[in-house]
Amino acid sequence: MPSIAVNTPSPHKRRLRSNSALIDNPAVNNTPSKSSSPVKSKSARRRVNDSPSTNRANVNNNNNNNNNNNNNKLPVKKLLDSLLDKPIWNPTESGQISAVKEALHASTAQSMVVCREEEQKRIVEFCRQCLVEEMAGSLYICGCPGTGKSLSMENVKGCLDVWAKETGGQLPDVLTINCTSLSSTSEIFNKILEKSQPNKKVNGRSAPLKQLQHLYSQKQQSPDAKMMLVIADELDYLITKDRVVLHDLFMLTTLPFSKVILIGIANAIDLADRFLPKLQSLNCKPTVVSFRSYSLDQIIMILKQRLMALPFVVFQPQALELCARKVAAASGDMRKALGICRGAIEILETELREDTCTSTLTSMVRVDHMAIALSKAYKSPIVDTIQSLPQHQQIVLCSAVKHFRKGKKDTTIGELNKFYIDVCKSTLIPPVGITELSCMCRVLGDQGILKLGQSRDDKLRRVTLQIDEADIIFALQGIRFFRNCLQ
Amino acid sequence: MVERSVDEALLLLRKRLCDLHFIFSVFSDSPDSNYSKLKFIVSSSVTEACNNSLLLLGPRGCGKIAVLDLVLEDLLKEYPDMISVIKLNGLLHCDDNCALKEIARQLCIEHELMFSKVASYDDNSQFMIAMLRECGLAHKTVVFVLDEFDLFAQGKQRLLYSLLDAMQSVSSQAVVIGVSCRLDADQLLEKRVRSRFSHRKLLFLPPQKDDLQRLLKHILLLPTDSNLSRDYVTDFNSRISNIIADKRFIEITDKLTDSDCTVSNFMRFLFSAVSCIDSKSGYMTLENFKSALSTIQRQPKLDCLKDCSILELYIMVCMKRLEVKEQESYNFNSVMKEYKTIHDSFKTSDYYSHNVCLRAFEHLLDRQLVEFADRGHNQCIEYRSVKLLISHSELHQGLKSNRSCPVSYLKTCMI
Repeated sequence: MPSIAVNTPSPHKRRLRSNSALIDNPAVNNTPSKSSSPVKSKSARRRVNDSPSTNRANVNNNNNNNNNNNNNKLPVKKLLDSLLDKPIWNPTESGQISAVKEALHASTAQSMVVCREEEQKRIVEFCRQCLVEEMAGSLYICGCPGTGKSLSMENVKGCLDVWAKETGGQLPDVLTINCTSLSSTSEIFNKILEKSQPNKKVNGRSAPLKQLQHLYSQKQQSPDAKMMLVIADELDYLITKDRVVLHDLFMLTTLPFSKVILIGIANAIDLADRFLPKLQSLNCKPTVVSFRSYSLDQIIMILKQRLMALPFVVFQPQALELCARKVAAASGDMRKALGICRGAIEILETELREDTCTSTLTSMVRVDHMAIALSKAYKSPIVDTIQSLPQHQQIVLCSAVKHFRKGKKDTTIGELNKFYIDVCKSTLIPPVGITELSCMCRVLGDQGILKLGQSRDDKLRRVTLQIDEADIIFALQGIRFFRNCLQ
Repeated sequence: MVERSVDEALLLLRKRLCDLHFIFSVFSDSPDSNYSKLKFIVSSSVTEACNNSLLLLGPRGCGKIAVLDLVLEDLLKEYPDMISVIKLNGLLHCDDNCALKEIARQLCIEHELMFSKVASYDDNSQFMIAMLRECGLAHKTVVFVLDEFDLFAQGKQRLLYSLLDAMQSVSSQAVVIGVSCRLDADQLLEKRVRSRFSHRKLLFLPPQKDDLQRLLKHILLLPTDSNLSRDYVTDFNSRISNIIADKRFIEITDKLTDSDCTVSNFMRFLFSAVSCIDSKSGYMTLENFKSALSTIQRQPKLDCLKDCSILELYIMVCMKRLEVKEQESYNFNSVMKEYKTIHDSFKTSDYYSHNVCLRAFEHLLDRQLVEFADRGHNQCIEYRSVKLLISHSELHQGLKSNRSCPVSYLKTCMI
């Protein structure tokens, strides 16, 4: 759990160009003391051959070495160094590689969450209001996967901690549930009940929901009953056919003496509208905070912030921009961007392993590495697989494409056999029998290229194409026979 | 002396053909191969203590599990106490409950704990998360191998989500390797699960022609330093090299790989070829490979036709003629009429009576060479419409291969 880093900036900390964008923008900084030093950003977990002193020694040595060697470097390198403000990394040193990969891992905790300040402010405000007025409330957080929802919630919890300590206010009980781990949907009420009454024995007589409703409909006996903050992650797992559980959960917050602040997290934007219409009539619809997908600038900023913690430069700025552009255009998913950057580093590693005589000048991750990593991430293996299929299976696909062009998009294996025999005859290849053909269709169906239906008789099974016709034509265009056939 | 060598050589070859590690080690030496890539990814996750996930995709029989086993074996030797492997199969553990139970059981076996059969889903899932955390603290990587990955992606995908979510936290150290034959396996994932799953995919493709040559030499050439007699080995190897270079052999292998080019099919072919070695001569010949091909690419209907009697063949020829004349549906009586016209026009010697022909017709029905085209059972056999179950070319081929079939039948067939 990341705690807020209270750090005085070290006197040697140089003002980096990439840093200036952050510091100059006033909306970004939550508190001035949150900038992280290189050592602090490492995870608390120790690594295998590591001891707390060696890595720090490494980093210090690196800095010292670079300061000492400044005069011995090539003029080009000096220029680059001065442009970039930090030395270029040395990928042959394994400590550096693992440091970079760790910084780019999605699970590495961040002490400062950039680009989500607006949303976090709203959530913290909402919680503070509820706590101050001792009123229950509900909030719904929505957004596509990889937009920082769970990450922001961790930060919000930390902020509330700080606020409670500063103002002497009451810290709420926090219950975080991931709804996928519940074995049945109504178990969430069990968990809320257990948390709200940890000392009391579990009363098996009435259902937990009823108990909770009973509890919150009466004035509390003890005046210092704490508020409870319930964070329900992946809320759509609670959606049942009759939508009762979700309703009851949100209705808990509308009871007169309720102590629950409910924050639900899910992907669908209109969950509240579609599944909780009754709440609107009661005028207690949850507030919606939507986390939009990251844009190009935001992705670049986040990547730079993660890499800023390292004492060396790893990526060329154009490479980062290419990655951010592609990911922002595709999904805006931050995990994907981080994964692609890690993939680019691995490509650089393999390249360096294969030819050992490169200077450190070329050891930054360049645009071509990033381009290869991007194509691996977004390319589907279908074209390669079609090109390596055996000849008869390719003829089957070709005859299917030709036939489906005419109109009907599905046919039976018996019909497909006829077209297959026609295509074979046109090129004098002897066709295989119907049993071999249905075997081949089954193999293609296994791979997800064709879709086969069920039938008693093998010949009557329905066949449709599951991949795009254009993929097949593109894959087979290198072979003249198929090119002519598919014109 | 020679016979003992032959037996030993046969044993050695058969053992090689059943040993997947031996077969796939041929493809593992180049740095570009899937073996090296997979080894690099898993070993870097182990040494750098980070989480990773990847997919192995490719048609069945291309060696995905074999290469994965090779990699894991090597890594277990290199890092003896730092890896534990959990294997799940989508066909066996299709349910989330079942799969979690199996994970808990395997974790218990690995770490020598007592496994409780009555643990609930909740208990098992808490146990798994706790064990992942413990292993993370102890710097032990847990490798999850999910075979038939696309079957885990059906339903609500809770197991996949909980596994991948556990990997998003810093405290666990795990690698999830999914193996599937569906190329679009990652499209089947829900968007939450797909976002947590890294995009790494390794594609396993069937080997190309020159790779197959290398594989052949690797498997069939006997080692010179074994305890077989030196002369026998050199003779054997030179004969094998001659066969491999022969054009007819290349035709045979082309015919085999044109319909199915996976490694497992090729191994089956080689196994039956090796089993056909004549123990008197002790060497492989081209005939071995030809007979192996015919056992693999069998035509059951043709085998059936070889054993048919002449009258049965005659009936099938009549049915074919009726079909060629574009008669939509015909029954036994129309076949008999056709039989009579052939008999009249070609003046063949044998003309059998109605009952004998009916008996032959019933035999054909039993052998499934013809069948009734309608579903009703009310009429008797002679009036129900029938159809041929074999194609005309198959019939033609069957007539040629039938030993007792006179030449005139072929003439009548060829309208």
